Amino acid sequence: MTAPRLDPLELSVWSSLVAMIAEEMGSVLIRGALSPNIRERRDASCALFDVDGRMVAQAAHIPVHLGALPEAVRAVRESRPRAGDVFLLNSPWQGGSHLPDLTMIEAIADEAGALAGYAVVRAHHADVGGMSPGSMPQGATELVQEGLILPPVRLEREGVPDPELLALILANVRTPAERRGDLAAQRAACAVGSRGWRALLREHGAARIATVTAGLLDYAERRAVARLTALEGAEGTAEDALEGDGVSEDDVPLRVALAVRAGALHLDFTGTSPMVRGNVNCPIQVTRAAALFVLRALLPDDVPTNDGIARPIHITVPEDCCVAARAPAAVAAGNVEMSQRITDLLFAALASAGVEVPAQGQGTMNNITFGGAGWTFYETLGGGQGASAKGPGPDAVHVGMSNTRNTPIESLERAYPLVIERYAMRRGSGGAGTHRGGDGVVRAYRVLAHCTVTLLTERRRRAPRGAAGGGDGACGENLLNNVVLPAKCRRELRPGDVIELRTPGGGGWGSPAHQ
Amino acid sequence: MSMRDLAAGVDVGGTFTDCAAIAADGVVLARKVLSTPQDQSIGVVVALEALGRGAGRVERLVHGTTVVTNLLLERTGARVVLCATAGATDLLELRRQERVSLYDLSAQHPAPLVASGDVVAVDERRTVFGVERVLTDAHIGEVVRTALALQPDVVVIALLHAYADDAHERRLVEAFHVTAPDLTVVASTAVLPEIREYERTATAVAEGYARPGVARYLHRLAERLHAAGFPAPAVMTSSGGMRVAADAAQHAASLALSGPAGGVVGAAAVLRAAGINDALTIDIGGTSADAGLILAGEPLVESGGSVAGVPIALPRVLVETVSAGGGSIAWIDEGGALRVGPRSAGARPGPVAFGRGGTEPTVTDAQVVLDRIGSGGWSGGVALDRDAAHAAVARIAARLGATVERTAAAIVRAADAEMARALRRVSVDRGVDPRDCALVGFGGGGPLHACALADALAMRTVLVPPFAGVLSAVGLAIAPARREVAASLLVRASSLDVAAFREACDALVPRIAGRDRRWQLRVRYEGQGHELEVAATPGDSGSTISTRFEEAHRTLYGFTLPREVECVALRHLASDPGARAEFRRDPDEVPFDAHGLVDRGGPASSVPVPGPCAITLPDATLWVADGWTATALAIGGWRLDREPV
Repeated sequence: MTAPRLDPLELSVWSSLVAMIAEEMGSVLIRGALSPNIRERRDASCALFDVDGRMVAQAAHIPVHLGALPEAVRAVRESRPRAGDVFLLNSPWQGGSHLPDLTMIEAIADEAGALAGYAVVRAHHADVGGMSPGSMPQGATELVQEGLILPPVRLEREGVPDPELLALILANVRTPAERRGDLAAQRAACAVGSRGWRALLREHGAARIATVTAGLLDYAERRAVARLTALEGAEGTAEDALEGDGVSEDDVPLRVALAVRAGALHLDFTGTSPMVRGNVNCPIQVTRAAALFVLRALLPDDVPTNDGIARPIHITVPEDCCVAARAPAAVAAGNVEMSQRITDLLFAALASAGVEVPAQGQGTMNNITFGGAGWTFYETLGGGQGASAKGPGPDAVHVGMSNTRNTPIESLERAYPLVIERYAMRRGSGGAGTHRGGDGVVRAYRVLAHCTVTLLTERRRRAPRGAAGGGDGACGENLLNNVVLPAKCRRELRPGDVIELRTPGGGGWGSPAHQ
Repeated sequence: MSMRDLAAGVDVGGTFTDCAAIAADGVVLARKVLSTPQDQSIGVVVALEALGRGAGRVERLVHGTTVVTNLLLERTGARVVLCATAGATDLLELRRQERVSLYDLSAQHPAPLVASGDVVAVDERRTVFGVERVLTDAHIGEVVRTALALQPDVVVIALLHAYADDAHERRLVEAFHVTAPDLTVVASTAVLPEIREYERTATAVAEGYARPGVARYLHRLAERLHAAGFPAPAVMTSSGGMRVAADAAQHAASLALSGPAGGVVGAAAVLRAAGINDALTIDIGGTSADAGLILAGEPLVESGGSVAGVPIALPRVLVETVSAGGGSIAWIDEGGALRVGPRSAGARPGPVAFGRGGTEPTVTDAQVVLDRIGSGGWSGGVALDRDAAHAAVARIAARLGATVERTAAAIVRAADAEMARALRRVSVDRGVDPRDCALVGFGGGGPLHACALADALAMRTVLVPPFAGVLSAVGLAIAPARREVAASLLVRASSLDVAAFREACDALVPRIAGRDRRWQLRVRYEGQGHELEVAATPGDSGSTISTRFEEAHRTLYGFTLPREVECVALRHLASDPGARAEFRRDPDEVPFDAHGLVDRGGPASSVPVPGPCAITLPDATLWVADGWTATALAIGGWRLDREPV
């Protein structure tokens, strides 16, 4: 090794220092944001990158953002950033995930005005235009239908804002005032990140910070490799499927072969469906995020979140594959639903390799979007988590790639023409077992005005599987005025209509006879 | 002597019960006795009696208690039946839908305080447009019968949108009173009249759950104190005020953070005496450290937070706790990094140096290795086993391939990093630059870590208060009597006229007594989820309030928006001044020994003491780091200044 190594005596101090900056970014974002999706549900992440584009720290509220931000910084670095530039992007072909996730990236200037790193804030916006309010359409077949596509564009050039570009963006979304507020909060969060990073550089010098960054990444990698080494030789395969792509109801099959060799996790998606017409495709960075999440779940909670953990993951995908989508595929549901299915798939492969993992959780985010004249509202619903050898599955939580909070009934009803008729535990929906799977939830919305509702849901016909002899969780159900709706659909609603979602329960663990 | 001239504070902690009594002339008596976890009130009386001749002079007594925290942690509170709007009866189980840990998929939230079978559905519904489903008298009778059949200790009523109109909640309360006059009934809006059903319900349930236990405890305490000849106690609230015992028993949830609040209140009093306005505070104990913020001489009070997994959305003195303290254990993880905590050796077995059976090196052991702890500088006069501490740190050092001294320094730095993170969170998150603040270090470990923490945050002034080891008790002794009430006030600032606002303010006045009166508004941009607290006066116009809010928003977030400004809630605070606190050094004590560096609280010259050196305090050790200079304060304690770099 040529560079000086970071002293093991100092690792935890540095780890704490950089994590703190990312945390402060997150705090400013959530406190300043306008839309419930960011401020209440916290569908957002903040990260700090060094000048070479390596992720040093991330404050993640949402696992699906976990491994995906480095791609965004890579795309910006290909756009010849200058210190003080502030980029916005959402194109899945250039670092984005799905269009509502607007990623803001500030190219940090050091005290001498030179490019010194990147502050990154990704947040899910309630609308970015496109064919349906909320920009989470059902039935889209090409990306351009899903909303305004932003390759990395400069909102600020070397610190000077471009009001015309912002005006262009706001002119193409349904709720411009709210977007303006959320973008202002993202900007404030970036500023906190760049200030913190600049202060570290000033105090310790660029050379020292480079050593620190390398040391922190190596450390996270060592912790990941240590865990994988304990699983050396594990091999397994798994198959699963999505319940339709939003255009057709046909299954979209997924397959993975998993192997742990020489401290590395190899994932081969050969046998997985080619890209599909509907929008459940996802770009490779979402697949990487799912793989990273699964590895992360095998690690102790205290491992710092940086680029180092991702190093021992090796992914192989076929040329034409729905988990490595390319232009012009539609992807809105891929980020939320395909990512969940990949997570289930990988856990199942681990289980088949003899690794002890929990039974399957609800495996969907239950995306629901309402849109009417001048308003859109998007939320996702928790359900049952799978039980494990350690105990029962938690009830009514987001599983896998999401961890957004619910929207308080009172806030929601004040902001939108909706009344929550019922918000309750879906008792008995968790699978039976020595340890029971977690229960799903029931949420019924009565609409007070003409609007459209879009549902992107899963596990409506393939139940979350139990493990070690445990029973399956109950499938989810979608109802309009008590009539069953498909897993993915869009409907026009009239005042008085009631949409009810019953989310899946988690799988049980162990034979119920031993309860 | 029968003269009663002492204001006393008694703070109950996990290990020690601290007592401080302040005389009219400013001299402080301090005592530390062992806590009595089976019944805290025994330790309280023992601590007061430890004042010796001073015991008979106690005129006023304020108590900081962990009784609510313990009820919540141990789940030993009352059986609560919850009456909630039909369709929304599972709110406590649904929480906010977030999981405990992002990556530990089996981690469970603690169970709700009310079992699912103990929730009664109330057939009623209010929406933002008014009552949609009327609550009938017949149904009220049914709800009362169903609830009483469950044989509750307490009934809590929490209905949707009750913050805007509590008529249905009030009718239910009255019905319960008629049928079961002795039953405790709590309405959500009486505890927290604010929007967000989960937080309001959970807070009201916490109130009901804790109230009987708190009432029993305070009754027992009052009896014991009376029997021993002490005055009736008052209790410190989470928001840093105090309530007389009878009143406190009716506001159990407001006592949840009684103890930590005392420390910040004490720190604020010392700061004022030292002529400093803004400060961060760090209270370092054996297992954890509490960071706080004082602005313009007052502890920062915010709403929100949770205790033992139970959200309690009431105003509280801001305290951020991290698992880093003197007992935090140093270890090496599988990535080869030196780590400190969150495991702690606690009070038992404690650090290796205490010789009570500890074997793993702790932060305190590292301090001993670095020679920063004087032999007499530990509570209870524990004799330090330096060799054992050295050997324990050496075992880790060998595995890291580093010297014992470097390893010890790294252990302290790692603990410092955790604490610095907490200090940054309380300040930077609120738009406060630590560099504009002094740092107050107290608790057993505060004076040891203060210089390093100040260095980490580029702060130039450190204050170590007199009686740093019992500052919470000092804070209690001088706490002002403070009461507060709140009301929902959901209105756009632009449509708030002067007369209407004055009326809203005036309506709260008769509800609480007190000489100094203040009003605080919780304000946000329409559509935001977090409110900012803005000071208000009854004559204010909507535009004055908007302007004040926008200034605060710009300071905190760096931007303002072309949007409507919306008021959410109005709080009214009334206080009477606390005990006089003119701290001064005790002329009867031994003067400061400038050679042996021992401070027993007696007279001291103002000749600065340059670092690095350790000064032995009556109940802690002060480490004056390299580059810092310590000056004894006339009020007792020390001020430390960083030399310009």
